[in-house]
Amino acid sequence: MSGPNGMLYGGDEIGALVFDPGHHSLRVGYAQEDTPKADIPAVIGVGPATHIPDAEEKVPDGNVTQSGTKAGNELRHYIDVTELHVARPGMEVQTYMKDGQVDNWDLFEKMLDYCYAKVIRSPSEHHPALFTEAVWTTRPAREKLAELLFEKYQAPAFFLVKNAVLAAFANGKSTALVVDAGASQTSAVPVIDGYALVSAAVRSPVGGDHLAAQAKAMLGSMHIQMLPIYSIQSKEVIRERERARYTLKTLPAGLTHSWQQYMLKRQYEDFCHCVAQVSESAYDERTAASVPGLHYEFPGGYHQDFGPERFKLTECFFEQSLGAPHLVCAAASSCDADARPALWGSVVACGGVANTPGYLDRLTKELASRAPSSHRLKSHAAPSPAERRFAAWIGGSILASIGSFQQMWISSQEYDEGGKGQLERKCP
Amino acid sequence: MADILDILDIEHPGATEISRDSIIHGDKIKKKYVTAKAVKRPEGMHREVFALLYNDSNKDLPPLLPTDTGKAYKQTKAKLGMRKARKWVWAPFSNPARKDNAVFYHWKRASDETKEYPFAQFNKQVSIPSYTESEYNQYLKSEDWSQAETDHLMDMCQRFDLRFIVIHDRWDRAAFRDRSIEDLKERYYGICASLSKVKTNPWSNTVTTVNGEKRIYHYDAEHERKRKEQLRRLFDRTQEQIDEEQMLLTELKKIEARKRERERKTQDLQKLISRADSGNVPTVNPVPNNTEGTHTPSNATTNIARRHDRKLHKKKLSTQQRPVRTMEAVTVEWSGIKFPEARSTGVWLRSQRMKLPPGVGQRKTKAIEQELRQMNIDIAPTPTEAICKHFNELRSDLALALDLKNALVACEFDLQALRHQYEALNPGKTLTIPASICNATDGETKPMGEIIDVVGSPSALNSTI
Ligand SMILES: Nc1ncnc2c1ncn2[C@@H]1O[C@H](COP(=O)(O)OP(=O)(O)OP(=O)(O)O)[C@@H](O)[C@H]1O
Ligand SMILES: [Mg+2]
Repeated sequence: MSGPNGMLYGGDEIGALVFDPGHHSLRVGYAQEDTPKADIPAVIGVGPATHIPDAEEKVPDGNVTQSGTKAGNELRHYIDVTELHVARPGMEVQTYMKDGQVDNWDLFEKMLDYCYAKVIRSPSEHHPALFTEAVWTTRPAREKLAELLFEKYQAPAFFLVKNAVLAAFANGKSTALVVDAGASQTSAVPVIDGYALVSAAVRSPVGGDHLAAQAKAMLGSMHIQMLPIYSIQSKEVIRERERARYTLKTLPAGLTHSWQQYMLKRQYEDFCHCVAQVSESAYDERTAASVPGLHYEFPGGYHQDFGPERFKLTECFFEQSLGAPHLVCAAASSCDADARPALWGSVVACGGVANTPGYLDRLTKELASRAPSSHRLKSHAAPSPAERRFAAWIGGSILASIGSFQQMWISSQEYDEGGKGQLERKCP
Repeated sequence: MADILDILDIEHPGATEISRDSIIHGDKIKKKYVTAKAVKRPEGMHREVFALLYNDSNKDLPPLLPTDTGKAYKQTKAKLGMRKARKWVWAPFSNPARKDNAVFYHWKRASDETKEYPFAQFNKQVSIPSYTESEYNQYLKSEDWSQAETDHLMDMCQRFDLRFIVIHDRWDRAAFRDRSIEDLKERYYGICASLSKVKTNPWSNTVTTVNGEKRIYHYDAEHERKRKEQLRRLFDRTQEQIDEEQMLLTELKKIEARKRERERKTQDLQKLISRADSGNVPTVNPVPNNTEGTHTPSNATTNIARRHDRKLHKKKLSTQQRPVRTMEAVTVEWSGIKFPEARSTGVWLRSQRMKLPPGVGQRKTKAIEQELRQMNIDIAPTPTEAICKHFNELRSDLALALDLKNALVACEFDLQALRHQYEALNPGKTLTIPASICNATDGETKPMGEIIDVVGSPSALNSTI
């Protein structure tokens, strides 16, 4: 941190952890690293512990946390893909997130247990913990989180930062208009000098999940069947658009609806990641048709080229009143006039959906046609997909390893003295 | 190997048995063969040219095989620091920037002495004025602000380091009414000002001492509000409004260009008129360089008065904002004829003085002659002194009259053109041209002075519109 000639470098790492809970996944890892250690689906499989493991399943690994006391009525929590993506009878998939914040605290506790035990592999009382939160996180949820960290996990220090602020930091800005296109929603949050303007933040429920639902509807209308991949025993190589020939696996009985839906959603998401693309300007059948199609093979073996559909799918992100451009304009115009030029000058796009090819270009273009002409518009997004998706986590990683940040933590002493009421003051 | 040496014209080094030894010690063997005879630069050859010719292949052979014989690679062991690695330890530290003395751990060199946490120096805070309850009651009471609200404001100022945009965003709207940023700033700076009068507090950002004298920052809320409002309006313009404004701006530019053009023409006309005026004065002096001097005093004063008058007119004209589109096509040249000064030396015929100067064009000459003929005047009279003078004056006046006539016709034409234009744009309406400027019918019979007045005086211009 300090060089030979008294030079002071920016970083001082104190072994802090950064958690970035989202609707799609929880990102967790050590501060000052450039990617999270783990990116865990934000759902937990809850099922009976007493089941006969499948033949291919090697059981005794520790990825399973147990709870419940009465024998026979025990519930096990299956976390992370290796456990979760296994067909287990009676395993319900539940999420702990709701409306951008943690809602089911018992489940979230299980998730944190897993993080400390399997990802961090180090006692929680050694590591200050920095959490990201959505701008509209309610006060009870924030206080509950602080309480959990200090009282259950004995964290030496804790801090909460708005994810928009961190995304701006990750892009090297302290003032930015952050467009976060996540799974459950898209939001536009103005950030001034490292503070998010809460009352100017806007959001819409159009996000990655919506896109997956759209993809499902679209494939349904095209009469293309999305077979669950775990149900396929084998498939034959066939020609394009030919009827799929496959044999099905015998699955254990009692697979829950929620689990099947979850697995299918993953598949639709995969389809979107591979196929969906944002067109340069508002969707137009003819220009979209002139772009070469993209090939996709479904789990059953059926495969075909997708042409204009790819562009049509993503139009929902740029829709009149719920799309990202509108959100940006709404957020900017509810800011003070003095702040607007700076905000228009650095629009930052982040979140998983911002990885869709063409997203940033289209956003820039739409904004250019809407932004007041007296402002210089500049939009920006991290170059690599991982940096876009993990923007908030990376910002947290940077922040928690800056020397001058170390005075900001709420320490356990402070918590003991001041209680959780000080959260509002200390973590604005 | 030998082949390459031949091609490169390198002296054959004799026994060229390739072995590890010969490769490794290659440079040593070669050393024996290096011919030391330096090629002399021929007399008169430039050094640069010689440098191009000079072949240094004997000195600095490029390696043909990758070898490890170079000095740098010869040392088998890298001479890295032979000192022991300095230890790093996971050491506790406390941060003086924290108020709670919490202990965190970080990596540091075991050898480094424990000093104050270096990043604590970045802990900078804005100093915000504080007040006691009695001070508040004495100096800061306000009808608009309760003490609770003021306290909240000061607290927010401290928390957000005077970032008023953020303060406004996080303002406790449940407990207090919504206030604009300007309201917040006004109150804050008002408090600073009142307190700095009674206290000597070092809240550096609002009070500066210039030459030992306290200067308090005065926040002009009204002005700021107006500025914000204007800014907001500027930003909230719709695309149509912006386009319209752009259109208006280009129109304005066009109008201004036209106005300049018109002024230029008015000036030209003025010149013509002034020429006509001085033509009316019976003693036109054909010698231009002493015109002023030969005027009678009364003439001089009237001339000055006129000029002054005209200047005023011109000013009025230029301040007129209305787009007057008259006289677009009128081009008025300098008119009248300046006859050359009588030559002072040598013998010359007086008829020379009657010769038109070369500046007068063919057409004008013809037109003047035509006029003269119509008046039954000989175009080449006997050049007595008196005839010479009068004949020249007459022709000068004729030239001026012709120019004015032309100008009048042009104006007349413009007027009619505009009338037609007006009637085309406003179908059904007719533009009645006031009689005072309507010369189309009886223009010829009007005396010259009146016509001039029509074109030149602003009152007439006003009446055209
Ligand atoms: N390469 C990609 N191309 C397109 N979409 C992607 C890509 N990668 C991820 N996504 C989508 O991004 C979404 C996940 O984004 P992100 O991780 O930002 O969400 P989150 O933060 O977990 O959710 P939220 O912000 O709503 O709480 C998913 O819907 C996923 O389908
Ligand atoms: Mg997110």
